[in-house]
Amino acid sequence: MSKLGRVVEAVDKYNNFVENEVKRARTDKKFGQQMVDRWNQIKANIPVGTAPTGLKLPRLALPEIDEAGDITRYLLADGLPGEFPFLNGAYREMYLEPMQNPTIETGTYEKNGHGKKSKLNGSKNGASNGTVAAGVSPAQDKAEQPTRLPLQQAEEPTRLFSGLMLAEDTNERFHFLGAHQRSKRLSTAFDGPTLYGIDSDADGVFGKIGEGGVAVDTVEDMIRLYDGFDLGSPDFSASMTISGPAPIIMAMYIAAAKRRFGPDIVPKLRGTIQADIFKEVQAQNETIFPVEASLRFLTDMMEYTTRNMPRWYPVSISGYHIGEAGSTPVQQAAYTLSNGFAYAEMMAARGLEVNDFGPRLSFFLDCGLDVEYIALTRVSRRIWAIGMRDAFGAGHKAQMFKVHTQTSGRSLVAAEFKNNLTRTAAELMLSYMNGTNSCHSNSADEPFTTPSEEWIRLAAHGQAILLDESGIFKHTMNMLSGSPGMKAVERAVEAAILEEFREIERLGGVMGAVENRYQRSQIQTAAHRYEQQIYSGVRPIIALNKYRNENEDLPEFELARTPRSKQQLQVDRLKKFKAKNAKKAEPALEKLAAVVETDENCFPALMEAAEVCSLGQIGETLQEVVGRFRPMV
Amino acid sequence: MASPIRVLTAVPICDGHDSAINTINLEFIRHGIEVVYLGYHRYVQDMVRAAIQEDVRAVGISSYNGGHVEFFVEVVKQLRKRGADDIAVFGGGGGTITHDDQRVMQKRGVDKIFFAGTSLTGMVDWVHQRYGKQHKASGRNGAPADMQLARKLTQIEDSYANGKAPRKSAMKKSGNTRVIGFTGPGGAGKTTLIDELVLRLLHREAQSRIAILSHDPSVVGEGALLGDRATMINSQHDRVFMRSMATRGQAGGLSPATEDCLLLLSQSGFDYVIIETVGTGQEAMPFQTKLVDQTVLVMNPDYGARLQLQKIVMLDLADIVVVNKSDQERAKTAMSEIERRIEQNERPQKLISTVAKRHRDVGVDQLCDLLTQPKPAAAASAKR
Repeated sequence: MSKLGRVVEAVDKYNNFVENEVKRARTDKKFGQQMVDRWNQIKANIPVGTAPTGLKLPRLALPEIDEAGDITRYLLADGLPGEFPFLNGAYREMYLEPMQNPTIETGTYEKNGHGKKSKLNGSKNGASNGTVAAGVSPAQDKAEQPTRLPLQQAEEPTRLFSGLMLAEDTNERFHFLGAHQRSKRLSTAFDGPTLYGIDSDADGVFGKIGEGGVAVDTVEDMIRLYDGFDLGSPDFSASMTISGPAPIIMAMYIAAAKRRFGPDIVPKLRGTIQADIFKEVQAQNETIFPVEASLRFLTDMMEYTTRNMPRWYPVSISGYHIGEAGSTPVQQAAYTLSNGFAYAEMMAARGLEVNDFGPRLSFFLDCGLDVEYIALTRVSRRIWAIGMRDAFGAGHKAQMFKVHTQTSGRSLVAAEFKNNLTRTAAELMLSYMNGTNSCHSNSADEPFTTPSEEWIRLAAHGQAILLDESGIFKHTMNMLSGSPGMKAVERAVEAAILEEFREIERLGGVMGAVENRYQRSQIQTAAHRYEQQIYSGVRPIIALNKYRNENEDLPEFELARTPRSKQQLQVDRLKKFKAKNAKKAEPALEKLAAVVETDENCFPALMEAAEVCSLGQIGETLQEVVGRFRPMV
Repeated sequence: MASPIRVLTAVPICDGHDSAINTINLEFIRHGIEVVYLGYHRYVQDMVRAAIQEDVRAVGISSYNGGHVEFFVEVVKQLRKRGADDIAVFGGGGGTITHDDQRVMQKRGVDKIFFAGTSLTGMVDWVHQRYGKQHKASGRNGAPADMQLARKLTQIEDSYANGKAPRKSAMKKSGNTRVIGFTGPGGAGKTTLIDELVLRLLHREAQSRIAILSHDPSVVGEGALLGDRATMINSQHDRVFMRSMATRGQAGGLSPATEDCLLLLSQSGFDYVIIETVGTGQEAMPFQTKLVDQTVLVMNPDYGARLQLQKIVMLDLADIVVVNKSDQERAKTAMSEIERRIEQNERPQKLISTVAKRHRDVGVDQLCDLLTQPKPAAAASAKR
C-alpha cells in the first residue's frame, strides 16, 4: 500500500472517530457536559467588533447549536479556524480588520481545550496555541504562532502573476504592481522557451522569446528581473511559475541573489518555485526530462532548500493547470492532493523529517464557477490535515494546507469579454469563502493576450473591493461558512475525492497511475465532455451559447507583443554571455554530468553551473545523461 | 469508396496547450478523418517533414503560447520550399490570434484561422469541403524523394480503398534492406521500444536511413487517430521516413495496403524498414509475407497465467521475443516462463529483457546488437 492508501484509511477512520465521539457526547453525560462547557467558554470569549455602521458583531461566527453531540461534531469534524482539521481555515482572523482596541484579548477559544484535544491534534499542543493578544509582538515570526495572522502583521493576500518580454520589462511591471503594497509579493511568468529549458538562441524559438512571460536564459537575466528589490527582506517574496527546468531556474535565482547580496543571503531567501512535475505530466505538458529523472532533480532541490533555505517553498503542488486542462473540480483536488502526498512520501524516503519539510509544501488551486468550488478548498484542507497527521505523523504546522488560488482562466471567454469581470468576481468570492491564503484574480482581457495594465488594475481592485471595501470578510471569521448547502457539497466532494484516491491506489499509487496515464485520460475525458456541453448548450456560457450577440465583433486589443528588436537583444546578450563564460562553462557542465551519473544530490553542482552556464546548456547536459521526456498523448 | 481525408495536427514549439487539439482530434475522427497527431511542443521542421511523409492534405496547428504569426508562416514557407505547395495550413488559438494577425498570416499563405467560438462542426465541415480533394499524384515536378515516395504510398492506399488493388508486382525487395516486424499486445511498449531502437541506429550508423510503417486501428469508412509520432520523439529525424497507416477495417493488426506499401518501402533504398502492427491478439502471425526478415514479439510481463503462453502462436514464430517493462515485479517470472516455453520450439529464438522507457537501457542495446548483426540465414525465415 502506498501512503495514499493509508490516507484513505486515515480519513475514513477519523470520520468514524468523530461519529463515535458524537455518540459518546450523547450517552456519556460527563463527556457531553465537558463539550458543552467548552463550547460555552469559546462563545463567551469571542470578542465583539463594530462595523462602520455601528453594528456590533462577534469576531467569530459559530453555528447556533447547544446539544453536546452537535457541538462535538462541529469541533472535531470541522474545527475552529486555525484548528485541526482546518476545514474553516488554516489560520484564524485571516482577512479580519484589526480590532480597534488592542488591549482586548482575542482568540482565547483554544485555550480551554477539552481533555481529548492534545491526543486528537497529535501536535505539540500548547506551545503555539496559547492566548495571543492582538497587537503583541508584530516582529514575532509567524511560524511560531501558526494559527493566527493578524492583518496588521500579515501581507496582503493579493498576488498578481506577471511576466513579459525581457527581464527589465518585467522588472518594471513588478515595480508598478508593487507600488501600493506594503509587502512585495512578486509572481513570475516565464516565456515558452524558458519553460521548456531552451535557450533563446536555439533554432525555431525566436518568435516565442518574451511571449506570454519573461525570457530568462542566464543568471544575468535573473539579476535584471528582480533588480531594485531586497531579496532578503522579510517583506519580499518571489514566486516563480516554472516546473520542467525548475531546479535549474532555482539554482539561477540563488546565484543571482548571491551576486547581489553575498553568500549569506541564501537562508533568508523567501518565495516559491512551482516545480510540480506530476501535474506537468498529468496536465500541463511542460516536462523536459523523463519523469523519474525529473523527480530526482526535484527532490535533490527540495532536500537542499529544506536544509538550507527554511523560508522557501520548493514546490507549489498545483491543481490549477489540471483544472485548466479541463478536469472536473473533484479530479483537480484529488490529483493535487495525491500528488502532494506522493511528494511527502518521496521527501520522507530521503530521510527528511516530516515536520521540517511538511510546512514547506504549498498548494495552488483553480477556482471556477462549478458548484464544487463552494467547498473544494475547505475539503482539501481537511483531507490534507488528516492525511499528514495520521499517515505521516505530522505536527500542527505540517498539517496545514496552505493554498494560493487563482480564478479560472478557462472560464473566461472572448465573446463580450467584459462579462469576465463578473465571472472573476464570483470566483474571487468563492476563493475567499474557502479561506485561501493568497489569491490571483484574472484580468478580463486574458482570453486575448497577456493582460494589459488597465484590466490588471481592475482585477486587483476586485480583490480590494471584496476584502477592504465590503464588509463580507473583514468583520467576522466564518461569516459564510457552514450553510446546509455548503455542508452538502463538502460531503459529496470529500466522498468523490476519496473514491479517486482509491482508484489511484489500485493502479499502484500516483506513479503507477501516471504510467498508466490514468490522470491524463481522466482529465481529457472531462475536458471533452465540458466542450461537448458547451456546444450542446447543456452548459450555458453567457454571450457564447446563451444570449449571444450575433453582431459582436471581437475587440481589437493593443497586444503586448515583444518587438523583434527586443527578441534580438535577448539573443545577442545570451551569445555574449556564452562567449564570456565559454572556458568556465565546460568544466562546470562536465562536473554536473558526472554528479548526475551518481546517486549524489546534484543540486550543489547545479548551483555552480548556473553561475556560468545558460539554461539551455544545463538542460542539454542533463538530457544527455538522463534522456528526454517522452510525451504521453 | 474514397480514402478518408488525412490531416496532421500539432501544437507548436514551447507550447503544451493540448486540450483544444485533443478535443478537435476526437471530433475529426468521429467524422471520418484520419488524424496524424504529432503532439505538442513541436518544431516547424518536424511538422513539415511529417506532413510530407504522411502525405496529409492539410496541417492543423493549435497555438496558445504566442509567436503564432512567425510559426504558421514558417510552416507554409518550409512546405513550399520542399515542393509541398498543395498541403494547406490552418489552425487557431482561441483569443490569442487577433484578426490583424489573421490578415498577416493569410496574406503569407495560411489557409484559415478559426477564432474562439467556432463550433466543432464548423471545423469538420471546413476540412471536408476544403480538403476533400485528392492531391496531384506526384506533387510538383522534381519534388524531393520523400514526397514522391509518400505520394506513391497514398496511391496504393487509395487503390485499395477504391477496391482496385494494384496488380502485384514481383514481390522482391532490394537486397540491402533489412525488414524488421514488431508485433505484440497493446500496452507492451512496442512504440517506445522502436523509437529507442531508432535512436541507437541513428547514433551507431551515421549514414543509415530508416523507414517506419506504423499501424493504428480503424473501421472502414471511419477516421482514426494515428498517434505514434507523438511519442516517437527520436524518430522525427531527417534520416527517418515514417508513415502511419490506419487498418481501415482489416483484422490482424495491418492494413489491406500494408504489404504493397512495405514492398515499396523495401525497394526504396532504406537500410532498415521497421513495421509495427496494431496491438494484436496473439493467435496468429500478422506478417504473412516473405518480405519481413526478422520478427520481434514484444510482450508485457503481465500476460496472466503460464498457461496463457501455450496459446500464443507468435511465440513459435518470432525470431526475437522481448519482455519489455522488466522493471515490473513479475518480469523475472515472465522471463523464465517464456524461456521454457520457447525452448520447446527447438529453434534459435532469442529472448531479451528490456525497460524501453529507461534511458540507455542495456536490454535495448542488446536488441539493437541482434538486429544489426549480419543477416540471419535464409533458413530461419523459410520455416514460416
